[in-house]
Amino acid sequence: MPRRRGNDARRPAAFVPGARRRQQTVAAEIGLLVHTLRELAAIKNTAEDAAGCILAHAEELLASADAGEAARGQEALLSIMTACGFHDLVGQRVTKIAATLDGVIAARVARTPRKTKAVTPRLSRRASALEGPGFPGASLDQDSIDAILAKA
Amino acid sequence: MAVDLGMRVLVVDDYKTMIRIIRNLLKQLGFVNVDEASDGSAALNMMRSKDYGLVISDWNMEPMTGYELLREVRADDTLSRTPFIMVTAESKTDNVIAAKKAGVNNYIVKPFNAATLKSKIEAIFGEQSR
Repeated sequence: MPRRRGNDARRPAAFVPGARRRQQTVAAEIGLLVHTLRELAAIKNTAEDAAGCILAHAEELLASADAGEAARGQEALLSIMTACGFHDLVGQRVTKIAATLDGVIAARVARTPRKTKAVTPRLSRRASALEGPGFPGASLDQDSIDAILAKA
Repeated sequence: MAVDLGMRVLVVDDYKTMIRIIRNLLKQLGFVNVDEASDGSAALNMMRSKDYGLVISDWNMEPMTGYELLREVRADDTLSRTPFIMVTAESKTDNVIAAKKAGVNNYIVKPFNAATLKSKIEAIFGEQSR
């Protein structure tokens, strides 16, 4: 029976096994997720550098100002310094997002038919039990915490 | 402030920037002897070799968290009376209650300002002098 060329041309795509196609899709998704993790690490580093730079200049100003100037500017400089804590909070949020992505990658890898090296979650079980920075309105503020501590 | 400004203060945090911020705030409040540690176990070793009048600790650190440090400190006969302030982003009610039960003297949620730190330190030493 003569073979029809038209059908032959479509065959390679039609006969790619489903598992292999899934594997390619998952590999592409994992590549994107790993890239996102790298971006998050870069954000964390940038925030750290920025906080360090602002803090260094605030410290310099505080040290170089004479007594009168220091008294006038002290409050503002202390506010600048404490605001540098944003780096810590950004870092904690980024770590949480990275842990979630690690989990997604691990789940994707587990669903692929090919054996792939397991991805270790970024956070320990103990650390992941902590919530980290909450969301405005959804977590306790300082006054609420003070009230809890004040209760006998 | 009824506080001995010459006392040794230990700041425990795994973020160097945060240690630097707290160190600067303490300096502005007049504290001159400030040491630092990057996690609970390092802090505990330091506390067993030096006398600290106040510990200001983050919660979420590895390998030993600030909460574990607090429990170790309160369980140690020599260290148990050391004033302990938790400075953390953890604002879940359960965590605040757990810290309170473990014996924390005060709890500051991040982000915080200089006035909050000052008032919490004053509150502890005000209570102690009464």
